Amino acid sequence: MNATVSVSHLAKSFGRFQAVKDVSFEVYPGEIFGLLGPNGAGKTTSIRMMLDIFKPDAGSVTIFGGEMTEAKKNRIGYLPEERGLYQDLKLEPTLVYLATLKGLDESEARLRIADWLKRLDLYEHRAKKVQELSRGMHQKAQIITTLVHDPELIIVDEPFSGLDPVNTRLVKDIIEEQRQAGKAIVMSTHQMYQVEALCNRIVLIDKGVAVLYGEVGEIRRRFAGNAVVLEGQGDFEGLPGVLEVRRDNGSWHMALEAGVSAQDIFQALARRASVKVDRFEVAEPSLDDVFIRVVSEGQGESEEAARA
Amino acid sequence: MRKLWLIAKREYLRRVKVKSFLFVTLGFPLLIVGVSAIAGLIATGGRDSRPLGYVDLSGVLDDGVLPALAEGRKAFSQIEAYPNADAARVALEEGLIQAYYVVPRDYLAEKEITLFYGEDQPRSATTRDFRDFIRGSLVAQQRPEVQETLSDGLAITIRSTDGRRVMSEGGVPSFLVPFVVAFFLFFAISSAGGYLLQAMTEEKENRTMEIIATSVSPGQLMSGKALGLIAVSLTQILVWVALLGAGLWIGGLFVEELRGIELPWDMLGVTVLYFVPTFALIAGMMIAIGGAVTEQQQGQQVAGILNMLFILPIFFLVLIFESPDSPFLVVLTLFPTTGFLTILLRWGLSSVPWWQMVLSWVLLSVSALGSIWVAARVFRIGMLQYGQRLSMRAIVEGVRERPASRERSVTRDREDVIHA
Repeated sequence: MNATVSVSHLAKSFGRFQAVKDVSFEVYPGEIFGLLGPNGAGKTTSIRMMLDIFKPDAGSVTIFGGEMTEAKKNRIGYLPEERGLYQDLKLEPTLVYLATLKGLDESEARLRIADWLKRLDLYEHRAKKVQELSRGMHQKAQIITTLVHDPELIIVDEPFSGLDPVNTRLVKDIIEEQRQAGKAIVMSTHQMYQVEALCNRIVLIDKGVAVLYGEVGEIRRRFAGNAVVLEGQGDFEGLPGVLEVRRDNGSWHMALEAGVSAQDIFQALARRASVKVDRFEVAEPSLDDVFIRVVSEGQGESEEAARA
Repeated sequence: MRKLWLIAKREYLRRVKVKSFLFVTLGFPLLIVGVSAIAGLIATGGRDSRPLGYVDLSGVLDDGVLPALAEGRKAFSQIEAYPNADAARVALEEGLIQAYYVVPRDYLAEKEITLFYGEDQPRSATTRDFRDFIRGSLVAQQRPEVQETLSDGLAITIRSTDGRRVMSEGGVPSFLVPFVVAFFLFFAISSAGGYLLQAMTEEKENRTMEIIATSVSPGQLMSGKALGLIAVSLTQILVWVALLGAGLWIGGLFVEELRGIELPWDMLGVTVLYFVPTFALIAGMMIAIGGAVTEQQQGQQVAGILNMLFILPIFFLVLIFESPDSPFLVVLTLFPTTGFLTILLRWGLSSVPWWQMVLSWVLLSVSALGSIWVAARVFRIGMLQYGQRLSMRAIVEGVRERPASRERSVTRDREDVIHA
């Protein structure tokens, strides 16, 4: 199967600041691809280069098998991180206008937008000015703009920010539905727990470099055993070989350094008289754990991981 | 192409549909009509209907010419003779007459007369009537053709050597029309800058730039907006020309002087020919500014200065009146930003040579294309710079950047790798 988007060794600087140093990945139809990384890692800049908003300093982008053209823009739906609609216009005409710019004719756009507005509980707000809408409604309106023209490539940047749990669920369902319809979806977020259930494959970007790239399940398996979960009383801080300790719902979650096994931690705990352990198990690592480990291991290892 | 129309249509409709458009388009001519009407009323209104007296000691005046003078005038002052200054003074004091003239015995030698009036000086229309009376009396002895020539003056026709333009001095109001059109354009140009700037900063302020940029090309966006706004301005001008035509026609029913003024269609043709590239030039400049600044207010200040470049000729009106073909005005004619208004202003007073018109149009069109080309580049690099100004260096780099730079930097990148 041919990749819908393929980016290769992208780099981009703004003045002296190098926002993206080396990012490569491919996205295929029928998958949700996670573009992950902390704030300021270079995710949005990578997306902008992918969409030809920025010209890369180096590297190349192949989209639908070639360079970006005006005709290809109709096949792409983009929810930018910078949310914005014309504030002083009414909701429905705004959505219709933006849909026609994506190549729909006006009557078709009206029909589809009415359906979407109903589905997203915005129908009774359609005659309101955009500035009168709440942040959540605004967000949902932009999701309509992203999807109304039935694009083959969907790029959503932080799609859940500003949404309550009910609407988060709704948007997740919509994204999953689009995947089942065979669309290629790129989802960028810094909230890694959001993508664990949703994404098939991910690329992890840190300081402008792709440090991890592959299937979520495979990555988890590769990093399994590098975290433990335990319950009990006492001081669990400061154990040797532990990168990070965090309290999670009454249990302790420890990410381990490379080369440190769960057994080592178990023995170290046994030597501490001050602690009482009720439960001890090897954790299936969350992407958060994986990320922390990959980043803390430094450049050399991460490049190796990126190649894997 | 379809998207360009969509953008143009939206831009046009949302400008034309708002109340302020109607207000400016209809209000501006109404304001001018209103002001002229008030000025006219002040000038002609409150005319004293009482007669004007005179005492003729020279024997020059001949009241036999009065009926002929009054004929063909709407309101000719009633003029009464008094035998001596005392009788006239009594009549003035009793309020029977508004004023009286004394024409001294030696009038033909000294050519001086004296006006006596009570509290208010007579209106200029009244004194003009009396002057006509004197003039009429003086030429009464001449043959009728001579009389006519003396009272109406000579009709001189000025013809340019290429025979292209003919101007008759008698048609004074006709040469005013270019000025009226020029002033309308002056307002159109001044408001266009603001509109254009707003159209560009709108996408930035509403954060819609990324959605738009991934739907249409910067070229489509800019030409669409410019096209929509050109249509808005043309609509405005058409409404104004229509109102001017209607105003001249309706006014002609009441005011004799307005009859026979014809709209100079050749000039209106030149107007349309120049309007599009001039507007494109403004558009390019405004888009470049709109792309480089973040907020409208910031851009508005720069735009104000830029507008000056276009309306500069208005400040040289006196020069245009006195010497419409002076070298300085030729320079203004050829300079892209000032060419349009200068040509219109010179139109009424002189004949602008062909070579100047052609050259100035070519220069204007070339710089208009150039400005849009530069604007597209500035726009491309500035479109996502929120909250920060583009540095002069970034603009210059963006403008000089060639499409090939991508490959070039890739190669450079590889070289770096090899060196490393």
